[in-house]
Amino acid sequence: MKDFAIISKAIEDKTIVWFETNNKYSILEQRAAKIVEQLSNDKAVEVIADEVANDLNVPFEKAIDFVIKLNKDLYKPNLKKEVNLTDDYRDLVKPQEFDYVKHYQINNLTLTSYFKTEKELDLIHPKFEHLEVNTSNSSDVVFEVFSQHNYTFLFVDKKFIGAWGTKDIHYFQGKFLMELIQKIHQKNEDEWLGVFHASALTNGKKSILFLGDSGNGKSTSLALLQANGFTCLADDFVPVDARNKEVFAFPAAISIKKNSLPILAPFYPELESIKEYSLKVSNKIVRYLKPNNSDYSLHLPCNDLVFIKYEQGVELDFNPISKLEAFQQLIPDSWLSPKKENAQLFLDWFATTNCYELTYSDNEKMINQVRNLFDDEL
Amino acid sequence: MNNIKKTQDKTQDITRKQAIKKIGNYGKYAALTALGTYMILNPKKAQAQSPEAPGTGF
Repeated sequence: MKDFAIISKAIEDKTIVWFETNNKYSILEQRAAKIVEQLSNDKAVEVIADEVANDLNVPFEKAIDFVIKLNKDLYKPNLKKEVNLTDDYRDLVKPQEFDYVKHYQINNLTLTSYFKTEKELDLIHPKFEHLEVNTSNSSDVVFEVFSQHNYTFLFVDKKFIGAWGTKDIHYFQGKFLMELIQKIHQKNEDEWLGVFHASALTNGKKSILFLGDSGNGKSTSLALLQANGFTCLADDFVPVDARNKEVFAFPAAISIKKNSLPILAPFYPELESIKEYSLKVSNKIVRYLKPNNSDYSLHLPCNDLVFIKYEQGVELDFNPISKLEAFQQLIPDSWLSPKKENAQLFLDWFATTNCYELTYSDNEKMINQVRNLFDDEL
Repeated sequence: MNNIKKTQDKTQDITRKQAIKKIGNYGKYAALTALGTYMILNPKKAQAQSPEAPGTGF
């Protein structure tokens, strides 16, 4: 056997294969997946090539070249190792004082977070401002955030979690959220299947994930839907657990871009007066809308993935889409657990989901369509 | 010159004969090419917040 396992799952007319060595997913023709499985079982390359040559009626040399190339392409380990910064920063001196101390109440969890300067504060606080409480006698968990040597450091309960350079700052933010979610739901990192770049909505019985590129209107749609009887489970950062394969609530606020304000103003008059933040990279201005969920311990099953898109002037279009197409969009945008058992659970879960595409311009029609989708299976 | 001409003639001679065979071969290799057409998808290396979230510009 090779040192690292693979997992195969037939989806539509192809086979998805996951590789433990590099946590990659590959969409293969079924015959190619068979070769990969044979390689994984340490079957001799010559024997595999001989079978391929016979099956496809190609010269043996061509077949063996192909098998070798497939092996090389797919089993290539991730050579880029994570730098262990603990060693590099052994002499790190933590700041004695922090400019900002914020306390947040999330269900029964009291979180205290120290931010060295406004720069660190702005990386995290805007999304959690709605959970801020004035004083806290005792904290269940303490986060510390500061920058040194152009790196942003994160400590949780005095333990070093990581350090990130400027261009990786969204990974710092992701790690902060991941640490927080572990505290809220009392689950370690290896107990999650993955975290999806999506918006999650529930009717109290099940959940639906809305996916799509940034700017397609995921958050705006979520805000519209939560104003129309549904509950927001999570926006932008959607965790799914391994044990139940359920979508878990996350308390971050919904980011609303300036061009969505006219659409949402009738439902959320408060948006008019709340603070704006400008995002330097995308040159966009956003405001943060409080999610309507008050129980952040919620978690619900999810069988529907909807790739949503707001497009001015179009008629509502709602159709099932190929799962392979959905998979191609889903993976590069997601963090997926590198643990073998979780990769298997993820593929099992994905195989049971229904994937749709929803394009709309009329809010009312979109809301009705989502309502129908929720009701169909009830 | 002679040699070149000969070669050209020879090539032309066998073109018709081998054409079908050649097409046949390409057809067979196409089956292999189809197997070699696959997609490798990389999940994100770590949990990340959307780059559109605040603070990313610093």
